[in-house]
Amino acid sequence: MKFRDLLRLSTSNLFKRKLRTILTILGVTIGVASIVVMVSLGLGLSRSVTEEMSNYGSLTSVEVRDASSGYYYMGEDSQDVDENKHLDDDAIEELKALPNVVDVIPMLSIDVMIKSGAYEGNYITLYGVPDGYLESQNVELASGTYPSENGGVPSILYGNMILSQMYNEKTQSGYWYDGVIADVDLMNDPVTFILDQDAYWQYQVGETGEDGTVPQMPKKHLFETSGVIAGGPDEYSSYSYYMYCNIDDLKAVLKRNFKNKAIPGQPTTKSGKPYKQLYYSQLKVMTDTMDHVSDLQKEISSMGYSASSDAEWISQQQKTMGYIQLVLGGIGAVSLLVAAIGIANTMMMSIYERTKEIGIMKVLGCDMRNIQGMFLIEAGFIGLIGGVTGLAISYGLSVTVNFLVANMAGDMGISGGISYIPLWLALMSLVFAVFVGMLAGFFPSLRAMKLSPLAAIRNE
Amino acid sequence: MEEKKPVIRVKDLYKVYKVGDTKVRALNGVSFDIYRGEFCAIVGASGSGKSTLLNMLAGLEKPTKGEIVIAGEHMETKSENALVAFRRNHIGFIFQSFNLLPTMTAVENIALPLTFQGMDKEKRTKLAKQAIKMVGLQKYSRHKPTQMSGGQQQRIGVARALVVNPEIIFADEPTGNLDSKTSEEIMGLMRKVVVENNQTLIMVTHDNHLAEYADRIFHIKDGKILKIEDKRLMRQTGT
Repeated sequence: MKFRDLLRLSTSNLFKRKLRTILTILGVTIGVASIVVMVSLGLGLSRSVTEEMSNYGSLTSVEVRDASSGYYYMGEDSQDVDENKHLDDDAIEELKALPNVVDVIPMLSIDVMIKSGAYEGNYITLYGVPDGYLESQNVELASGTYPSENGGVPSILYGNMILSQMYNEKTQSGYWYDGVIADVDLMNDPVTFILDQDAYWQYQVGETGEDGTVPQMPKKHLFETSGVIAGGPDEYSSYSYYMYCNIDDLKAVLKRNFKNKAIPGQPTTKSGKPYKQLYYSQLKVMTDTMDHVSDLQKEISSMGYSASSDAEWISQQQKTMGYIQLVLGGIGAVSLLVAAIGIANTMMMSIYERTKEIGIMKVLGCDMRNIQGMFLIEAGFIGLIGGVTGLAISYGLSVTVNFLVANMAGDMGISGGISYIPLWLALMSLVFAVFVGMLAGFFPSLRAMKLSPLAAIRNE
Repeated sequence: MEEKKPVIRVKDLYKVYKVGDTKVRALNGVSFDIYRGEFCAIVGASGSGKSTLLNMLAGLEKPTKGEIVIAGEHMETKSENALVAFRRNHIGFIFQSFNLLPTMTAVENIALPLTFQGMDKEKRTKLAKQAIKMVGLQKYSRHKPTQMSGGQQQRIGVARALVVNPEIIFADEPTGNLDSKTSEEIMGLMRKVVVENNQTLIMVTHDNHLAEYADRIFHIKDGKILKIEDKRLMRQTGT
């Protein structure tokens, strides 16, 4: 029997009993819709949590620091750390060659002191980054522009929490002491930088150096402002505490400022002497997906670098999200199970009704597998139509839910909605609906296949 | 005709049913041969075993013991699916209650066995239209069974049995649900078909009068063949 004829026969059988077919399809519709909506809620939740997490740091990068810099991380595997591995352009090339690595971003950092009017801030980290890095990380600006190469004189982008770290030199008033935010307009007021804080403190105390030199007031720099990162004084993100400028500008100014002195944070030789070359203080190794972070970190560590990432935390979060999705999907699956029983019941009824018809077909020479196939197609068709309508309803519900949530919590920072139906979920649910339908129709179809042809001979 | 190999050869056929603890011998040692182009009637009262015999010849039931050879193939050893395939290609069947599928038109019903063979729609519709012409119901091609009289439905049934050009046609009380006038018409039609196409037809009936249309009549009682009447001889001799 040709498949097209089989299909025609099956669909005409479904049409013959419209009401019953519609009721069975309705069951599948509800089942599929509940699974899809539940899973979409889980996915939406997981997506918004992931977005939340990405505010705390890049989820797809591994941070590599100089092994001798004295930084240590919780959970870091430091056994392999090689003290002689320093971060230079060769290291960048080496890391770039690793699988799944998209880019390697060099960073140079130094803790500096800033002063503006009566306010000052100590040990604030100034990062030198390549042009374009901050843009690529979607750092939002409140005002100004991203810092760019400025001919050896850094132009500074301030984090939104910089002001809360500054305090009034005379009154000791500051955001963390009495809640008064420093009265500095970073965009317009001049800000001076002291790059050599050690020398500054020695000068303040008046301590004589080991070699008997009298400390001098270190050089002050006046750097122009390029912009300020968006956010309030206590709105944390991984950029809010820091200042940023172009990496080459920072290199240039450090070399000028320190001459032959050791630059804080830079590795030194065993005898404590500085290297001629300026090394990067950290490298951000960007990978393509979150899944690769953990393996990449292990690999970089095994090469002798000191590497860290949020991988463990992320995987914990993902596991939790997975459980939530499983529970939500399970709730939806129960209703699909009920629908499957409905399909099986409908098919059984149908077989009892069509005992004679099946008998006739067998007497006339219809292959037994064709008879089974006919019932499987009918059951699968119920699944398919139920799946399509269920999916349509799910999309409707998803849009409605997102609309309502957006109205209620539009300014709470929830973006993209809490229900999210990706293409794979839509396709999977259709395949699943057809599969469940056929599974439910399988035993009835076996029964139909085994019916005796004598039923056709009997006369009622 | 006598030198030819028989289309059907039945040898020592037994069928025993168990009803509770007692064994019922529906067929109790039946043997006969049927040749191509013959119209045979199996006649007997209710419970004589005639239907059982037909069911076994058509491969709808398995014999308890004995041999059935149809067109050179042993039916008693075939699997169920092989029997279905055999019927599909070699056997036509006419039912007492017509058994047309109610959702299909007359032509679609006639073409159904061809559909099972996997024939193209175009080709099988053409053959079905030829068959419907043979039974004289061209005008009813697009009618559903419910829109036709019993006699018309059975004519469609005959056409359906003919359409695959089978080696043998079985008819199970083909006029059992029809009035006597229509019965005569159907019998005439079947007779005509057998003669025109040199078909072999085996009919089961309880009606001695209708059996008169056949070439040979097998009288069966209590699972045994009582006698075989050869009408052709009688017609020749003029009795």
